[in-house]
Amino acid sequence: MSAEYQNTTTESEPASTLTAVPVWLIVVTLLLVYWGAVFFDQHGGWFSRRVYGPYVSIPDAERFYPLPASGPDLKRGRALFESNCALCHNTDGMGKPGQAPVLAGSEWVTTEGVNRIIRIPLVGLNGPLKVKDQDWNLSMAGMGAAYSDEDLAAVLSYIRASWATRHRRSRRKTSKR
Amino acid sequence: MTAPAATSYFRSPSAPVTATPAEIDASSRLPMFALVGGAALWLVLSSLLGLIASIKFHSPNFLAGSAWLSYGRVFPASTNALVYGFAIPAGLGVGLWLLARLGRVPLTQPWLIAVAAKLWHLGVLVGLLGILRGDSTGFEWLEMPRYAAVILFVAFLLIAFPAFAAHHSRSERQLYPSQWFVLAALFWFPWIYSTANLLLLVSPVRGVAQAAIQWWYSGNLLFVWLALAGLGAAFYLLPKLTARPLQSHYLALFAFLTLILFGTWVGIPAGATLPAWMPTLSGVATVSTLVPLLAIAMIAVQTVRGCRTECAGGPLCFVKFGMSAFVLSGVMLAISALPEISRVTDFTWFGTAQNQLRLYGFFAMTMFGAAYYILPRAVGIEFPFARLIRAHFWCGVAGSLLLTLPLAMGGVLQGFKLVNPNVAFLDVTKSALMFLRLGTVGELLIALGNLLFLLNVLAVIATCYRAVCTKAYTAITKRLEPTPDPSKEGNAEVRV
Amino acid sequence: MKSGALVFLVAFMALAASWGGFVLAPQVQLSRSVQTNALGSSDLYPLGRPGLAKQGLEVYRANGCVYCHSQQVVQEGTLCEIVLTEAGTNAAAAAAAVAKLNSALGTGDAKSLLAGLPKMILQVADMNAAGPALKTLEAAGAKAEARVAPQGADIARGWGKRRTVAQDYLADYPVQLGSRRIGPDLANVGLRSPDAGWHLRHLYAPQNEVQGSLMPPYRFLFETRKIGKEAAPDALKVSGKLSPPPGYEIVPRPEATALVAYLQSLRADMPLEEAPLTPPAATVASTNAPASLTNAPTATPAAK
Repeated sequence: MSAEYQNTTTESEPASTLTAVPVWLIVVTLLLVYWGAVFFDQHGGWFSRRVYGPYVSIPDAERFYPLPASGPDLKRGRALFESNCALCHNTDGMGKPGQAPVLAGSEWVTTEGVNRIIRIPLVGLNGPLKVKDQDWNLSMAGMGAAYSDEDLAAVLSYIRASWATRHRRSRRKTSKR
Repeated sequence: MTAPAATSYFRSPSAPVTATPAEIDASSRLPMFALVGGAALWLVLSSLLGLIASIKFHSPNFLAGSAWLSYGRVFPASTNALVYGFAIPAGLGVGLWLLARLGRVPLTQPWLIAVAAKLWHLGVLVGLLGILRGDSTGFEWLEMPRYAAVILFVAFLLIAFPAFAAHHSRSERQLYPSQWFVLAALFWFPWIYSTANLLLLVSPVRGVAQAAIQWWYSGNLLFVWLALAGLGAAFYLLPKLTARPLQSHYLALFAFLTLILFGTWVGIPAGATLPAWMPTLSGVATVSTLVPLLAIAMIAVQTVRGCRTECAGGPLCFVKFGMSAFVLSGVMLAISALPEISRVTDFTWFGTAQNQLRLYGFFAMTMFGAAYYILPRAVGIEFPFARLIRAHFWCGVAGSLLLTLPLAMGGVLQGFKLVNPNVAFLDVTKSALMFLRLGTVGELLIALGNLLFLLNVLAVIATCYRAVCTKAYTAITKRLEPTPDPSKEGNAEVRV
Repeated sequence: MKSGALVFLVAFMALAASWGGFVLAPQVQLSRSVQTNALGSSDLYPLGRPGLAKQGLEVYRANGCVYCHSQQVVQEGTLCEIVLTEAGTNAAAAAAAVAKLNSALGTGDAKSLLAGLPKMILQVADMNAAGPALKTLEAAGAKAEARVAPQGADIARGWGKRRTVAQDYLADYPVQLGSRRIGPDLANVGLRSPDAGWHLRHLYAPQNEVQGSLMPPYRFLFETRKIGKEAAPDALKVSGKLSPPPGYEIVPRPEATALVAYLQSLRADMPLEEAPLTPPAATVASTNAPASLTNAPTATPAAK
């Protein structure tokens, strides 16, 4: 038979000393908390629900979104046209009598080849000519000569897109030649 | 007693102590039988199921014909049996005894706790059968289906309330550190369990939030709850068995506060499919658990240092090994959360090894030590097979080291091969096979040790009941016989 | 600490903090999501799994596949690849542009530089850096495009095109992310192995399909029965030791069919705002349905 177990009534429960927590342990704790905060700042995406590792922020992920489709910038072309060409040709392209012929529907704009419309702003134009059965004999300076290739292409694309939509927009490459 | 108050925290002997330790122990006998006895049975079952699972790695056709015994069902059944069948009841039993002893108040209505314990075991049985049947919830560490989870939750509350009542009516008003840990554990489990079950099973949240909640639950269960319940026992037994005071009260307070502050955020792995802030926050908190780990290691080392008592394979050995395993598993957890290391150890056997070391090497061994200490006192009988305790200790040590260290190494090797895309996946899996074999040997040893534990526990319970029956028989025959015959009395005295 | 109430208060505050961070916040941030548009298109994502695949998820859950297989792809970085698709009419100019962009390609003649199109010629840090390179190539008359190239071991292994994100699992219950890779990751297995027959044979006898595999056989998902008037159309072709006795055939049970439908539906390659990716080149689809809706294998095999 198994032995009896003697349970004494004077058995005392354990006690604990009152030594303080060592300071270096507090310092280690604070250092770890600091490291943790820095790490979270760098990798945590600041609680955003759309940021997933390895990206660290939404702009970081946006760097890999597909590029916008390239092509002439019609907004810029319009801005350039209205600041320069519209003074004479009018913002609606209808021209101003005695100043500049109409562009809208003009055969000089709607023609298939782009060379004519490229040369006019680049080099200028003077002498008698007919625009939509109207006789004109004025002189236009090369208003677009100072533009960059992209800007000239943008203006010309805007003109053709607005008032000759059945033709292709000018390409920058063509206007360089 | 005139010890200087500045350096010690002795219990004031003049405070009214209404119950003797013997009375308290006797009141805890029924709960201990119900909780720890059942836990020992589930432990052996979990070892058996775990062995079946790990043999399947060496021979995939082993028991492959049956759906109930397929790996995907047997493995969660074994882990659930280990946690819900063994760990929680054992922790509850030991925690109850600690609250009673440290508060110097016996447990009132021990029968209620025993009934609740039986209800808990019923819940575990129903849950395990559900998992084997295919009703597993799919959430790791929460596989028990809803119908079992309800039973477990109710049973836990039925055990926690008497514990709080005992604590409230304690006569020793000063709190010893173990009591903080046990009270926190009693509060922790119902909250995390009910939240997880409500938001994952009853009214499930949508999408990957399920994974976040599941990781929150498993981190709080496997790291915080096991630490609270296990350290509560360790911080009592280490000073008690070495007859030295705990070093120190404030360091234990610091460890408690930092453990629950940082430990509750543990659980979300670094490569998780969640917005970046969640794994980052969890990783930062996991590395910060080195702070409570350091404090706990200091407490353990300083309390035990200079003690000349030979533990001789007794409870002190179990608890000392348990503390070492806690520190080692905590270090493994913390370094596996560092970003460069988690890249290698995520998704490998390393995580399993770290979990097993904490579950078995720390918690189970500490509970064994506590049970080997408490049961003789609760019952009044020494263990019938006392020599087997030492054998159990060595089986447990060798088994847990053989299980976890090879698995950890295999996991690291597997991880290095996984991050190298030129290594075919089959080679990755094969590289871990040798370590798995060692792990299976470790599991065999663990199973043997668990059997020895079960043997001793059942023998104590049987002896106790035999003595109770003999005493009742004697009392009945005394009434029937006109003259009492001393020579006929049972030869095992049991204080009831 | 002096009293149980104080212990309770401290424990409550600690647990409430993590509850707020890892229970409440994920619910607020992730559970209220709805289908969103894929990046750069109006396709809704995710579309939800077909009914048979949903049943397959139940089979996956009940048999504990999650203990060996994960369903998460990890990404460690991202780069942009400049891919030359057409050399254009002026081969010399195109070759010169290629050589200027990436001198490491060698100074071979135009023919070798432009061989094997489409061909990646350069990796840059992001799309902004890709712009100038694309302009150079287009100026030389060639056609090129910039593709997003996620980096990482999982992606190099072919386990996915990009990392998995919350949106990929919006329609699933239970979400089976997994934490162990004893078997390969399954997040994109529908892209990698679209063949249902292979999956069925692999479930019945994994060692036949993958030599030395550790996966246990799932024979209980199948039925060996006498051949009726004619062989069943979905009978497995199993050879060797495991072939059925003469006059018998092996037929998948509904669970096996559902599980395979679920596996075929597993893919996470839709470009999203949180995980940008270049969509694959347009495939000749047999229907107008978006690729993520049907179980049918896509017309073009998944590019490695």
